[in-house]
Amino acid sequence: MTPAAADANAPEEPLAQQLQALIRAIELGGKAILPTSNDELLQSIVNAAARIFGAGAAGILLVDESDGTLVFRVEFGNKQPDLVGRRVPLNKGIAGYVAMTGQAIAVSNVQQDARFNADFAKSTGYVPNSILAAPLLLGERVIGVLEVLDKIAANSFGMHDMELMGLFAHQAALAIRESQQLEQIDSAIRQGLRRIAAAEGLPDSSALVAMLADTHDEATGPDDLLPLAAAFNDISRLGPAERRAAVKILAALAEVGRSRARPRSRYA
Amino acid sequence: MSEEQERPAWSEQFLPEAIRRLNLSDALSALTPEVAWGGSTGRGVRVAVVDTGVEADHPVFEGRVSGGVVIELNDQVEDGFVAIPDNPPRDVAGHGTACAGIIHRLAPEADLFSVRVLGDNMRGRALTFAAGIEWAIGQGFQVVNMSLSTSSADLQKLFYELADEAYFKNVCLVCAVNNIPAPSYPSTFASVISVAAHHSRDPWTYYYNPSPPVEFGAAGIDIEVAWINKQYATNTGNSFAAPHIAGIVALIRAKHPQLTPFQVKTMLMACAKNVQAL
Repeated sequence: MTPAAADANAPEEPLAQQLQALIRAIELGGKAILPTSNDELLQSIVNAAARIFGAGAAGILLVDESDGTLVFRVEFGNKQPDLVGRRVPLNKGIAGYVAMTGQAIAVSNVQQDARFNADFAKSTGYVPNSILAAPLLLGERVIGVLEVLDKIAANSFGMHDMELMGLFAHQAALAIRESQQLEQIDSAIRQGLRRIAAAEGLPDSSALVAMLADTHDEATGPDDLLPLAAAFNDISRLGPAERRAAVKILAALAEVGRSRARPRSRYA
Repeated sequence: MSEEQERPAWSEQFLPEAIRRLNLSDALSALTPEVAWGGSTGRGVRVAVVDTGVEADHPVFEGRVSGGVVIELNDQVEDGFVAIPDNPPRDVAGHGTACAGIIHRLAPEADLFSVRVLGDNMRGRALTFAAGIEWAIGQGFQVVNMSLSTSSADLQKLFYELADEAYFKNVCLVCAVNNIPAPSYPSTFASVISVAAHHSRDPWTYYYNPSPPVEFGAAGIDIEVAWINKQYATNTGNSFAAPHIAGIVALIRAKHPQLTPFQVKTMLMACAKNVQAL
């Protein structure tokens, strides 16, 4: 049900009821076309990865920048209990290497040097026979690591697997980003509509705008993005020449911004 | 579509059917592997491994890892980073140990040094990598192996400056290209020796590719490598191709210490398996 349809079918219905119906429609519509949660999407990605690469197990770890760890979000086929939710330091291990360097790697057949007899190798628990790990990259930003373990029909994952994994991981990263953005938009719309529905009487348009702006504060993102988005919207209605000019101006502004902030050292 | 035709990314330039046979100019026909590195063990050459660290006491190294540092960004100092001694060096992932072991296999008497740049947080990762390269250049290592790269366009200029700095300070930068099809710095710069994997397992077989973005192809598939905790593993990736070339560069630099980086690259090109004198 679209807002227009709601208006046409129930013109006499109080606004609050119309909005409640609209919220339900959005929720149902969202469930119909999207996974019910980001985790469900992640799960479908690891299931697909295990199938595509002929792996006995697979998992996704997402970067938590607040504490410098990778968090196991979903897994498929693993024998370890309580793997989901476990945190791995970014500066340790294969997954950490992949996250920090953005470089894919395939490792197999890890064996102890015969000249060295240590107990700790036994205490590391489950060691896969083979592993292929690739970064989940959005541009230069690594948002996580996709790994597949224990190739079923071969001793190791090959270069072909690695390159396909790079493409697959890129698509997975884009899907994760889309899903996260849709969740945020969905949440912001619902919050806004709930407020309107709860308001007394029929708000005029200025009150609506104020409420939506108020709602935006609860959503994520800088406050000045709304007016920026509104400006983009206005520009998009202009002619092609004006749009091209606007793109040039914005690109120049971005370049100035990049060149202006010269750090004291190269690494500041 | 065959499996090979589906293959994306940079390694396609080193598929058996894609390798171009090239003729060597008469002017360079005297350059052979025997001339370039015959009899060399890498003795006297210092090789920095900018990576996840190196497990120095792994038996594979036979004591050839002379030390290490951990690079950390620090805005309280003028350079913007500090190099903290890491002795004996340790490896937090296994990758650096694998790369250093490959270099040692080819250049058994070269001196290996660990420059660990795998920082503690995501924000500084590419910058820490750049700082590690800057430190290694400043220390005058003759060869720097980087089985890492960044696709950060914002840092292109910084890496470009570092590549030039290395070139003019007589430091050979050997850099793996990324396994995924995206520009990776500093491997795309002309003064850098860029490397991707090919299918041969022979550590001495490498190819020259005259078309950018990657110039050399070396063994990088199912390579037996040293791994952390005194282990061994079988690894695949462009990461493991670069140290094969770094090892050969170390041999060349030990035998011909007067050569500059572009002369070393010329020698590498002339001795590639697909390049033959007329």
